[in-house]
Order: sequence, then C-alpha cells, then structure tokens
Amino acid sequence: RAMELPPGHFPAARAAAAALGYLRYLRGGPGRGLRLRELRRARRQDIDDVGHKYYLELELEDVLDKDSTVSCTAEVLYHLGSKSSAPDVQVTVQGELRSTEQADQEFYNWIRSLEKELVAENIPDSHGNVPPELEPIHLLAWVASGYVIWQNSTENTKLHLAQVKHVKQVKRSDEDLQFDFVVLLHEMVSQEVLPWQVTLLWHPQHGARVSQSRAAGAGS
Amino acid sequence: HQVLRIRTKNEEEVKQLQLLESLEHLELDFWINPSARALPVDVRIPAVSVQSVKAFLESQGIEYSILIEDLQDVLDKEKQDMAESAQRQRSSSSFDFGAYHTLDDINAELDQLASEYSFVEKIQIGESYEKRPLYVLKFSTGGSNRPAIWLDAGIHSREWVTQASALWIANKIASDYGTDESITSLLDKMDLFLLPVANPDGFVYTHTSNRMWRKTRSKIPGSICVGVDPNRNWDAGFGGPGASNNPCSESYHGPSANSEVEVKSVADFIKNHGNFKAFLTLHSYSQLLMYPYGYKCTRPDDYAELESLGRAAASSIRSLYGTTFQVGTICNTI
Repeated sequence: RAMELPPGHFPAARAAAAALGYLRYLRGGPGRGLRLRELRRARRQDIDDVGHKYYLELELEDVLDKDSTVSCTAEVLYHLGSKSSAPDVQVTVQGELRSTEQADQEFYNWIRSLEKELVAENIPDSHGNVPPELEPIHLLAWVASGYVIWQNSTENTKLHLAQVKHVKQVKRSDEDLQFDFVVLLHEMVSQEVLPWQVTLLWHPQHGARVSQSRAAGAGS
Repeated sequence: HQVLRIRTKNEEEVKQLQLLESLEHLELDFWINPSARALPVDVRIPAVSVQSVKAFLESQGIEYSILIEDLQDVLDKEKQDMAESAQRQRSSSSFDFGAYHTLDDINAELDQLASEYSFVEKIQIGESYEKRPLYVLKFSTGGSNRPAIWLDAGIHSREWVTQASALWIANKIASDYGTDESITSLLDKMDLFLLPVANPDGFVYTHTSNRMWRKTRSKIPGSICVGVDPNRNWDAGFGGPGASNNPCSESYHGPSANSEVEVKSVADFIKNHGNFKAFLTLHSYSQLLMYPYGYKCTRPDDYAELESLGRAAASSIRSLYGTTFQVGTICNTI
C-alpha cells in the first residue's frame, strides 16, 4: 500500500527536510550537527481520513566527524487538510552517534564562565565563514531552527536554515543555558527568507528544548 | 610509480585494503583511503611494489583499474604547465577565482581575461535598471556567427557561488584552450557566451544592504515592494505555475514578460544572434542538474537526450570528489 517514490524528486526531498529538522532538534547540540548525505529510499502511503505518510531511509553525516556516516529511518506524517499542525515525525538512528559528553561539558563551562553574556550576529558571515569559537553556537542554532522547521513543514515547503542573524545569551538563575536566536529560514518552494525568533534552553545532561518561537516582523 | 583505482564490492574487501595500508614496507600512498563510503580507493604505488600489489588484488578478486600509468610523466607535464602559466601576465594569477568578489573586481577581471586571451572578448549587451552595464565574455576562435552556447550566472543575486563559478569557468576554459582536448575541439567549432552577473543591481545590493536579496531592483508601479524575479520574467509560460503575481513575493513575475531590462537584453541578444544551440544557467544551492520544463510537466521533445546528457554530466562530477547531483526535469525535481 506504500508507493515507492524517486528519492531525487521533490516530494521525498521535502519530507526529508522535515525529518532532518526534527532529528536536529532531538539529537543535535553544540558538539553535534547532522547533515543529510543522501536520501536512499522513499515511500508514500495515503491514509484515508488521516493524511500522507512518508517512509524514508536517510544517510547522515556528523559535520564534526565527516569520515563516518550514520543511517536512519524516518516516518513523516502530514495531517490531512491541516495547515496549522506540525507533521508527526519518528526517527530511528541505526547504531550509536559519537559521544559529545566532553565537548558539551566544555562548552557549558565556557559559557557559564563568561562575564558578559555572549552576543553574536551573521553566522555564517556573507562569505559563508564561521569563526571556530562560534561553531558550537552555530550548531545550537541548527537545533533551534530544526524545531521551527519541523513544526512548520508541509508537503508544499522545504525549509533550511540560511543564517543566524542574531544570537544573545540570557543568563538564568537555574542550570540551563538560554539563547535567544533570530534565524533566517529559507523556504525553497516560494524562495522566501523568513526571520524567526526562537528561544532555546540547553543543558549538557538535559538536552535542548525550545521554550518559545515566533515568526519575526518583516526584515530589511 | 603507478596510481591504481580500486573499487571495493563489500566490507571484506575494504578490510583487505586496510590490511594492505598497514604494511609500511610497501610505502603505499593512499590518495583516497579505504573506508565504508561508496568512493573508489586511489593509491599511489612505488614502482618496485606495483607487481606484488596487483598480484595481491587479483588473488583476492578485488577489481582495480590503472588511473595513472606513469606518475613521473604527469608530474613532468605539470611542472611544465606551471612554468608556462607563471610566464603569463601577473594580474590574472593574483585574482583568486576561489573567493567571492565585488562587482567592480569581477568587471576588472573580465577586462583582464579579455586582454590576456586573444579569443576572449568582453561585450556589453545592455544595461540594468540602475544603469549598470551587462557584460558578456565571448569565446570565439574564429568563423562567423558559429553555433553558440550560452551560460549565465547570478540571475538571482544572493546565489553568490554562481557568479564566482562563472568566473572560475571562464578562467579554466580560457587557460585550457590549446591544451585540453575537449575544450580545444569545442571552441574550434563553437562559440561560448558567458554572462557572469546577470543581475548586477541585485548583486551590489547583496554587498551593500541585504545579503539575501534575490530579485532585480526595479520600482514596481503601485507597490511599496521592489524588484522582480528575473527568472520568472521570461516570455515562456509567463505568469504560470511557480511564479507569483504579488510584487512583494520573491518569485514575483513582474508586470509583463521581459519587463525587466536585464531579461529583455538577454532575450534580444540571443534572438538577434540566431544561432544558439544550448543554454546553461547557474543557481544555488542544492546540487540539482535540471532540464525543461519548469512551468509545465510535459516532457520536452529532446527528453531522452537531455536525460542522458544530464546523467553523463552528473557521473563526471561524481568521479572527481564524490559530489552527487540529482538529474531530472525542473517539474519533478524542485
């Protein structure tokens, strides 16, 4: 009942982008950024009165460990007629992802030790460069934007993080780190560049969660 | 020394190669190391070890081919090439074709290329909305209105790698004419017209004001929004699927076909020339190699040839560094 889809055609590619967003939110961190190496296989099932479900087989790479790849399967269910609900996504990563415990702890300690709250903008810069010390912040932006991408994906969109326009750390009284991001998301189908404000909380043991997000006002 | 290309069929073979890698006395130099990835393994083998390594591979049933028969020959040729290119004019060797540049620097380099190569000429085909010249590099080794190839880049100004790629390509083709067989035979029969910055107003705007600007910078009557998507402004399926009639949209098609002077200049030039045989346009990002149509989903008459050509090109690209491009119609792919 599931129809095979050519992985090089756009319907599968759009579902993969949604799955990647979810995966980055779930498994990403200052020491880990996952990129899609190849979409190996895709199938689609139309479920009456429910929606369209995509079954994907993905090959991913960790940008900080490019020599190895990780396979994963994903299921993306777009609900029928629903413009306002996020697709249901499930991912299963085959095997173990490289541990980032040490890098996470070092990053955490570094941020906590800063006297002034961290502020940065344009990551990457116009030439595509990211200063090495800001790479963990860049990867946390992938986590934050991953959430927004997952939540706002439909069968008619393909969202990617284009640039971190602005990031500001906000000191908290609890153990979490808080970063307020303004990210620019590029939507491939309409070609629009959409600014989003996202607040991300992160802790080396507790992981990441988005505490709030909203489309920002019209930019320049 | 020989360089072999080894194609492993399974994990076991990869392990055998990794074993070979560990035998230091063989002094093998792996250019691409054995790993689980689907890339071929390239290895340089000192002359004295060549026979025994080949014997080993054959006994294990591991497939290989000879990538470079005699490495010394290749190195000697390279040394010669480098000496020759060092003798060429100073300025061109100081332009970094692997970096992003401003419009002024790009235009200066176009002049440089034209002055350096007798078969390269810079021509102006029109002006942008803000009155910037639209420069095209013409590659022609002779004849009169030979069949021609068109290549443009930067029609969407924020797609910076495309303008840079166009310059890289111009330099590569110009410098390889006379030495590279395919380039030489191509330019001996056909002309090439290359427009590296199809949307100069937008390009300047990405440098001065908004890195994400895509469209032209024309004023739209009755709207506070600026600019038209030049790649929706062509007189082919105008106003059809994939384009927006909202002036504030990134894919706004404009008030009418060819309303944008940048687009009209190109259309007029191509029509007046009358002998163009192929068209290529560069966009980023994505790694997609696409052919018509975008505004409808019917197959073009030359579908079979385009598909086969696309696959051959994608295969060539992949053979260098493993980069994969998806091939298909615009309608199916994007």
